[in-house]
Amino acid sequence: MPGMNSGVNVNDPAVIAAFKSALVHQGIIALLIFGLLGLAWIAVRARQPAAAQAGGQTGPAGPSAGAVAEPAWRQVLRVGFGLLWIFDGILQAQPKMAIGLPSQVIEPSAASSPHWVQQVVNWAGTTWSYHPLQAGAAAVWIQIGIGIWLLAGPRVGWSRLAGLASVGWGLVVWVFGESFGGVFAPGLTWLFGAPGAVFIYVVAGALIALPERVWHDPRTGQAILSGLGLFLIAMAVLQAWPGRGFWQGISRGRPGTLAGMTHGMAQTPQPGFLSAWVSAFTGFDEAHGFAVNLFAVAALGLIGAAFLTGRRRLARPALIAFVVLCLADWLLIEDIGVFGGLGTDPNSMIPFILLAVSGYLALAPGTAPAGEASPAVTAAGWRDRVRLVGFPTVVSLGALGLIILGAAPMAAAQASRNADPILAESIAGSAAPLNFPAKGFALTDQHGQTVSLAGLRGKVVLLTFLDPVCTTDCPLIAQEFRAAGQLLGAASKRVELVAIVTNPIYHQVADTVAFDRQEHLAQVPNWRYLTGSVPQLRQVWKNYGISAEILPAGSMIGHQDVAYVIDQAGRVRQELNTDPGPGTTATKSSFAVLLADAARQALRPS
Amino acid sequence: MSRRRRQLPLLLAAAVVSAGCGSAARQPGATAAPAPPPSLSTSLVTTTGTWAVAVMGGPAAGHDNFWQLFVRPAASGRWRLATPPGVASNGGLVMASPGGRSVVAGFRPSQDLSYSPLATTRDNGTAWTPGLLDAGLADVPDALAAAPRGGRLLALLAGGEVQLSGPGGTGWTRLPTRRALAASAADGRCGPGRLTAAAFSPAGDPLLAAGCAHPGTAGIFAYTSGSWHPAGPALPAAYARQRVTVLRLTTTAGTTTALLAVGSGPGARLLAAWSTGAHWALSPPLPLRGAELTSASLGPGGRVAAVLTGNQAQAITGPAGSWRPLPAPPPGTATLAPGPAGGWDALAVHRTRLTIWRLPPGHSAWAATQTLTVFIQFGSSG
Repeated sequence: MPGMNSGVNVNDPAVIAAFKSALVHQGIIALLIFGLLGLAWIAVRARQPAAAQAGGQTGPAGPSAGAVAEPAWRQVLRVGFGLLWIFDGILQAQPKMAIGLPSQVIEPSAASSPHWVQQVVNWAGTTWSYHPLQAGAAAVWIQIGIGIWLLAGPRVGWSRLAGLASVGWGLVVWVFGESFGGVFAPGLTWLFGAPGAVFIYVVAGALIALPERVWHDPRTGQAILSGLGLFLIAMAVLQAWPGRGFWQGISRGRPGTLAGMTHGMAQTPQPGFLSAWVSAFTGFDEAHGFAVNLFAVAALGLIGAAFLTGRRRLARPALIAFVVLCLADWLLIEDIGVFGGLGTDPNSMIPFILLAVSGYLALAPGTAPAGEASPAVTAAGWRDRVRLVGFPTVVSLGALGLIILGAAPMAAAQASRNADPILAESIAGSAAPLNFPAKGFALTDQHGQTVSLAGLRGKVVLLTFLDPVCTTDCPLIAQEFRAAGQLLGAASKRVELVAIVTNPIYHQVADTVAFDRQEHLAQVPNWRYLTGSVPQLRQVWKNYGISAEILPAGSMIGHQDVAYVIDQAGRVRQELNTDPGPGTTATKSSFAVLLADAARQALRPS
Repeated sequence: MSRRRRQLPLLLAAAVVSAGCGSAARQPGATAAPAPPPSLSTSLVTTTGTWAVAVMGGPAAGHDNFWQLFVRPAASGRWRLATPPGVASNGGLVMASPGGRSVVAGFRPSQDLSYSPLATTRDNGTAWTPGLLDAGLADVPDALAAAPRGGRLLALLAGGEVQLSGPGGTGWTRLPTRRALAASAADGRCGPGRLTAAAFSPAGDPLLAAGCAHPGTAGIFAYTSGSWHPAGPALPAAYARQRVTVLRLTTTAGTTTALLAVGSGPGARLLAAWSTGAHWALSPPLPLRGAELTSASLGPGGRVAAVLTGNQAQAITGPAGSWRPLPAPPPGTATLAPGPAGGWDALAVHRTRLTIWRLPPGHSAWAATQTLTVFIQFGSSG
């Protein structure tokens, strides 16, 4: 999938350090948000009449007097998924996430899905790979924010809004992060997480967002369990469907579908005992594939049927069996899901347990004290309402601040089509400022005209060295130069993009013309590709520390990838390592930003 | 919940499950595909030496495969590396000889290089003069041809176009091809498809080869008087219903040699065809019996050697000869080249090591005569 993989090492220390730094800075801002809100709340409370304080923890979003008490099933969902979101947010803060999520989580999960799914997912993966720091931090703060918001309290308005936020972000993660939970990919199975863990977060969020009038209605529980039961029966049918490889432990000498999946899971970095358990299950499934699948089909079908009845008497043992099944699956098949440095959530079984328990609890006939709202509150003006703001409301506001803290920089970054320069810096390292006179040269450009460095005085020169018949780095560097020129916009009139041939064999003007045509540089007005005789070129190479080595046996010319930033006075201000690294769209864009920034810096009066 | 209500989810589930489980439509039987071209690994004979192309290096990644050019000077029995320097050869090498001592090598595009640097030598690869074709050569061993006189070159490009150079391999111009071929008198008989080879006739006219959509016709065309004319051999009526693809086409020492694939699948056969200008001579058919051609070498006097899958090799000495099986080629044989005394040399590659196996005339076994280790800069191409 183009663009999904920035090509930068997931353990790149520069990116990891920048990611940690971004999280620390945003963490300080998060503390400030909560601190300021807390101080404001204390100040307001200090001015609040004692009677109002005694009135309890009320707020504009939901009066307490006469309000409907939150039922246990909703508490389970709200607290359970609140904690899960916070845990997921913390997992997103793992060092490898910034670079690794698109290429090692999203891309593999989308690889077996249809082309249109890959297209959709690629858009998001490309966005992430262009802005790994902002995207990584956004995922952290948005998920922690939603989690805190859900935990903040049972107040009707706020918690329903938190439920909706959970639905919205959950759908984003489900579509772009989980490739629709893999539901369009072959090999779909409940045992391995179908329909995607975050889809259950979405369902839970929708249930939390339900209006008060259904909280104590037993039909809510029946609906939850029936829906879950229906889903489990469908999964049982899918699991039993012949030809999908689940009935065979070993097929044609290779592990069957389930054993193949668990074998792969056992290879990920994790504590040894877990790997041993999963490996043991893999061996068991290879030996008894038919029996394992028969058990899975029967268990899913029977539990699903019991849930589907909506009867408490049947649902209770089914729930116990379901919890046991989920825990066994979580340990032996899903492998807990959080290890390896790139785990994004504890997978689907814990959310399934929470959903089932919640559905069971909702079956109980509820007491719904649907009293009237507090007259004191309903009659209050806005000043009174502000004074009556409760702690949960303050926490909810803080959580909203966290979400904005993560989303705003990502939205701003998304508005730019250019990649973060951190990608280029991670490959090239940082450039120290320089200040010495650039050595002069006079060579022939692609139009046959003589061009000298002295003749370019008054303009910033981005100077590099390219082999016109190079197959790898030089075309990429040329593309980066062209993109840098475009990024400079009107300022590009004051910048010259200059390359000098670094091939002692292929150095004719015709070679530079072919290169320009290939790289669409012929129409770039400030692009100059210079060449000359071999002695002329060697002198320039020597002056700029370039060695052009003829390598044997079908290798291209070996030379340094470097660019010099020469200011308007003809002084070298920076030497940039332009080794393009993996040459992905993200790194090329990042290098272009780096080069354009360097040119802009040189344009500023010193 | 009423009974009907309870049944509804089950019906829905059944509908959903059954909707996703329709059987795939049966595909219609595929039409016989034209025979694939042989590898770029091949050999070429000039007055001063024998040349061969072979790929060496990494087993998988394309940018760790480096194509090499080897030469065995006429006065010597030993091969040496002669790959032109200055360009990465990962995309492949093709070669042509304008006659005499000259050899032109063309680099196929690879990775981010889309055009083809050229290199010419007149001293068996000791020194090379660079040149350039501002387009990418096709992935066939006869993508580059040199006129026997005047130094003109003919290039078959990756996009199916053809360019003709002026004297000395400069001043390239595009020749009309697809439409012109379709408009030629040949179209009715051939229905030319993918172009497979470029050559010059002994008289110096550009030749093109193609696979014909219409059966029974060998798609060879000559460019004379500004247009293309059919110039291929007339095939016997026995092949009238067989699809014919020209796999190789080259002119050496006044003889144009073509290698044709007739038919497809287990019944496919190879035919060699020779022309000195006016008429073509055809070889007896060589039944392939399911094997595929991996490398073909066309030598002076119309000699042809073919390396086939299944560890087989066949050779024919010219228009008067017949196909003769050679002893099983040594493991890793990339191509065969005419040997110093009329036999064959097999160039066998294992990563960076080239072993020369020789089969002198009248011998029944290959004998290793030389080993060359090529110093490849792995990783230099990304």
